[in-house]
Amino acid sequence: MQAKDALNYDYSVAKCFTYATILFGIIGMLIGVVIAYQMAFPELNYLAGEYGTYSRLRPLHTSGVIFGFLLSGIFASWYYIGQRVLKVSMAESKFLMVIGKLHFWIYMIVILTAVVTLFMGVSTSKEYAELEWPLDIAVVVLWVLWGFSIFGLIGIRREKTLYISMWYFIATFLGVAMLYLFNNMEVPTYFVSGVGKWYHSVSMYAGTNDAMVQWWYGHNAVAFVFTVPIIAMIYYFLPKESGQPVFSYKLSLLSFWGLMFVYLWAGGHHLLYSTVPDWVQTMGSIFSVILILPSWGSAINMLLTMKGEWGQLKANPLIKFMVLASTFYMLSTLEGPIQAIKSVNALAHFTDWIPGHVHDGTLGWVGFMLMAALFHMAPRMYKKELYSKKLMEAQFWLQTTGIVMYFTSMWIAGITQGMMWRATDQFGNLAYSFIDTVTVLIPYYSLRATGGLFYLVGFFMFSYNMYKTISAGKAISSEPQNASPMSA
Amino acid sequence: MNWLNDNVVLLTLIAAAAIIILTVGVVGKYMKQMQNDKSGGELAKENWDGIGEYKNPLPIGWALSFLGTIVWGLWYVLAGYPLNSYSQIGEYNEEVKEHSTRFESKFSNPDKATLMGMGEGVFLVQCAPCHGVIGDGINGKAANLTKWGTEEAVVATILNGAKGSNYPMGEMPAGLLDAASAKAVAAFMMQEISSVKKTKNAALVEEGRALWATCSACHGEDGKGMDGSAANISNYGDAKFVVNVLGMGKKGAIGSMPKFNDGRLTNVQKLAVGTYVNSLAK
Amino acid sequence: MFHWLERNPFFFAVGVFLVIAYAGVVTILPDFMESARPVVGKKPYTVLELAGRQTYIKDSCNACHSQLIRPFKSETDRYGMYSLSGEYAYDRPFLWGSKRTGPDLMRVGNYRTSDWHEYHMMAPTSVVPGSIMPAYKHMFSNTADIETAYAEAYTVKTVFNVPYDKPDMPKLGTLDESKKEVMAQAALIVADMKSQEVKDAFKKGEIKEIVAIIAYLNSLK
Ligand code: HEC
Ligand code: HEC
Ligand code: HEC
Ligand code: HEM
Ligand code: HEM
Ligand SMILES: [Ca+2]
Ligand SMILES: [Ca+2]
Ligand SMILES: [Cu+2]
Repeated sequence: MQAKDALNYDYSVAKCFTYATILFGIIGMLIGVVIAYQMAFPELNYLAGEYGTYSRLRPLHTSGVIFGFLLSGIFASWYYIGQRVLKVSMAESKFLMVIGKLHFWIYMIVILTAVVTLFMGVSTSKEYAELEWPLDIAVVVLWVLWGFSIFGLIGIRREKTLYISMWYFIATFLGVAMLYLFNNMEVPTYFVSGVGKWYHSVSMYAGTNDAMVQWWYGHNAVAFVFTVPIIAMIYYFLPKESGQPVFSYKLSLLSFWGLMFVYLWAGGHHLLYSTVPDWVQTMGSIFSVILILPSWGSAINMLLTMKGEWGQLKANPLIKFMVLASTFYMLSTLEGPIQAIKSVNALAHFTDWIPGHVHDGTLGWVGFMLMAALFHMAPRMYKKELYSKKLMEAQFWLQTTGIVMYFTSMWIAGITQGMMWRATDQFGNLAYSFIDTVTVLIPYYSLRATGGLFYLVGFFMFSYNMYKTISAGKAISSEPQNASPMSA
Repeated sequence: MNWLNDNVVLLTLIAAAAIIILTVGVVGKYMKQMQNDKSGGELAKENWDGIGEYKNPLPIGWALSFLGTIVWGLWYVLAGYPLNSYSQIGEYNEEVKEHSTRFESKFSNPDKATLMGMGEGVFLVQCAPCHGVIGDGINGKAANLTKWGTEEAVVATILNGAKGSNYPMGEMPAGLLDAASAKAVAAFMMQEISSVKKTKNAALVEEGRALWATCSACHGEDGKGMDGSAANISNYGDAKFVVNVLGMGKKGAIGSMPKFNDGRLTNVQKLAVGTYVNSLAK
Repeated sequence: MFHWLERNPFFFAVGVFLVIAYAGVVTILPDFMESARPVVGKKPYTVLELAGRQTYIKDSCNACHSQLIRPFKSETDRYGMYSLSGEYAYDRPFLWGSKRTGPDLMRVGNYRTSDWHEYHMMAPTSVVPGSIMPAYKHMFSNTADIETAYAEAYTVKTVFNVPYDKPDMPKLGTLDESKKEVMAQAALIVADMKSQEVKDAFKKGEIKEIVAIIAYLNSLK
């Protein structure tokens, strides 16, 4: 048992972020379900006056799940994994403990302010970067604190070689820092003119240039928030939970550097057939296709780590979550590149197929991996058995059904919509008015919303399971090396 | 429907199928290995929190595919793209040219039935958001085209006046004639001036002719509008009248009707929608 | 070599940064060099239009509407001429959107009018049965923030040399002068509208958000 010589890791910050993950997961996905139903039943727009319209809520959903749910999950697992793979406890440094706590509280203030301001309609409109400049500054502070935490811990580490997960955490830190700074360059108007709202600003870039910077950011926000840190998690949690060594170091290495090199070039695929130069678009398409391989590399590495371990897959729901996460990762990283082919994008862009693609990634890959991570961490942080395996199994199947409903309905809706926009009658004229292409989609919108509801109910099951584990789980005496202990 | 003649649609359907098939195929292969193979290999000496690492070689299929895409990418960037000298606007021009050659000769002399069919399509896409799917103007939000263009509508125009297209003459004032005279002038106008060339009140035509001077002051003796000073009502009831409205727009008593001169509608399409609009009033 | 990096976090981080940073430099910077110039005849937004644009952003219309017409016949038939880079020269931020739950609005000013927008924003289904667009009733009671719009125009004029107050270009002037211009432009729109609430407010010198957003939508051509 390694537990004997295990250090006394300090999980207090990881626990705080765990609660935040659950809280923002519920808020973000609840809003997701609401906006999904609003598209099928527009009357639902009027539940809360101007604050309840689809268009006020949509940025709240995206910011809520990305910067609330996802980012807390990433921080929670960083404050868990970091200490363990570097073999050093945060408690060994007062400084790092203070940084960690400060990081958490500033984070909470920023996110809660973001929620309030987005409800009020304070937004710069840029997707995934809606926040106005005062909040941007707070985000930078928060990020710097995280940087201190990462490099501080590395500074006092005992394990000299960085584990794969560390590579990905470092990349997340650097990537987001660079992207966020450049995309949020804006001029506060009050300080130039002396009138108007003090928090209003105007973008440093105009038109096509602004679009290029935005999608250089937007695409790589997907890279460095939805992908890179999640890979950091799977490289730790899957081998750890299963007790299997990582299949191949070489594959890890090539996938990592390949991903880093290729990802940044691919942002042009959000601007196909726009007014950015043809060659930028073409680069975007080419690199997107090449990107399949470094993406699949990590996923394959994980699937091969489970080689010969069918028994575990059947017996352990956590392994199920993670193997399905890899599978959805493969699905969305093949789907993305194919949507990045110009002729396919001609049809797919602007349609519901894009949210379909988004949610195979976010629900299947990101969501499953985050929940598996928290499930794995709970018994070790709280020294309790997981509360119910049955509930976990039920959650797994319910959410898997939800995801399948979500993406199949959106694939069909998106492709139908794209075909109808292009369709011509025997005279060569447009065959459908715009509203025809909206009303045919209503049944698919209902189906998607219901799939989303299943996923949300599953998330409540997860939250309940976590709550019961913490409050009423059976105590365990020593930390399990691998498979997480769970009651039937 | 000509969906499968559209390359983009065809490619998209193939793409969607490829995504599913490839993912399920490849993942299936590894699932089989989970079921049937054994893990193994030489362990590296490092170990992190109990996690080991094998020194296994790269999966060969993966490595070759990666290499393949890199070679393809280099070729595309260095040779394929520059040699192709692609331009998306060029591609658009081709698309439009191809469309034109296919349809312009085919519909250069459309018959009535063709115009009606084409016009209905144009109307539903371009006009229905304001005039409603059945052209009734959605409770007075735009001109009710099921009433417009008829003899009764002319009477209404004489009684209520007309404005909004910014003719040099300005507006047509309301109440030029009393109701009975208006009916007579309308009969005359429909029979003799307009392109309808018939009236429901043939008996009133002569009475109307006598009163025509009231109108010809602006519309001219022949109703042609005196070279654009006022509306040309000699083609009232004809598609051309509607085509003219589409060119001028109208900011009238009901609301504003936009101009359709931004190039979205070709002349044939305007004629077609005009024909269709004229058929709405029965 | 890589093992060495993995044991030297500083160099590892530098390595990662270099690898991720230069793609941006290579793909983005060249376009900035030949930064998109305004097409001939393009004018910056008036203050009222800017107030409308800010309302558009506040209510995230861009969540459902694009403003980018791609060069396909199916799009130019529906929305008009495909977009040119120079048409966006004064768009800060750009509002291309990434989803068309509703139609493109790049040139909606060509084929919709003030009175239609009034009906539509108040109750979309009253003109388009089956529409899933939310009604924006609150725009009829919220007052538009003209001062912030002025602040934005003033800022882009000062910082980015946007040609306000040049011959043939929108006037900006001082805040008071600008408010007069705004009232004049708003008066034309209010005259086309039917809402008594909006008209009454205008008489008192208040401009409602709906007036500003209609001005903005009409300017999209
Ligand atoms: C003072 C000049 C004037 C006189 C007199 C006049 N019109 Fe007009 N008429 C106009 C103008 C100008 C328009 C175009 C209005 C617009 O659309 O801006 C018009 C439009 C019309 C229209 C088309 C309405 C529509 O549906 O668009 C008809 C029909 C018509 N006039 C008939 C008559 C008849 C019949 C008389 C005589 C009783 C008459 N007008 C007298 C100036 C006049
Ligand atoms: C944005 C709304 C809108 C659209 C789109 C629209 N119309 Fe109209 N149209 C109106 C309104 C409002 C009027 C009534 C103007 C008035 O008299 O006050 C009108 C009036 C008309 C008239 C009567 C003009 C006259 O002289 O009295 C015709 C004919 C017409 N429209 C045809 C069309 C056709 C054909 C299309 C499509 C190709 C079309 N409209 C699209 C709003 C619209
Ligand atoms: C939930 C999605 C949604 C949101 C949010 C939304 N719209 Fe729409 N919009 C639509 C749909 C769907 C249509 C097409 C049906 C119709 O005309 O109502 C539409 C149509 C329109 C049209 C008519 C365009 C045309 O060519 O017919 C305008 C103008 C418009 N919207 C403006 C706005 C503005 C301004 C906002 C924000 C304040 C907004 N929309 C927010 C969905 C939305
Ligand atoms: C190889 C990897 C990937 C490539 C090449 C890729 C490519 C694409 C393309 C082409 C689009 C559509 C752009 C458009 O037409 O609007 C897109 C959108 C998107 N993808 Fe991916 N994708 C990849 C992986 C992922 C993953 C794993 C996720 C999430 C977990 C993801 C999240 C998103 C999101 C959020 C959008 C929407 C962006 C927007 O708001 O428009 N992608 N992607
Ligand atoms: C309960 C489950 C969820 C539901 C029902 C849901 C629903 C929705 C809906 C309706 C949209 C708008 C789509 C449109 O514009 O047409 C959306 C967008 C989005 N959602 Fe979710 N969502 C859910 C969970 C999540 C999660 C967990 C994430 C991320 C981790 C996420 C990330 C996103 C993103 C990035 C977009 C923007 C996509 C784009 O712009 O193309 N969602 N979601
Ligand atoms: Ca910002
Ligand atoms: Ca989007
Ligand atoms: Cu992308």
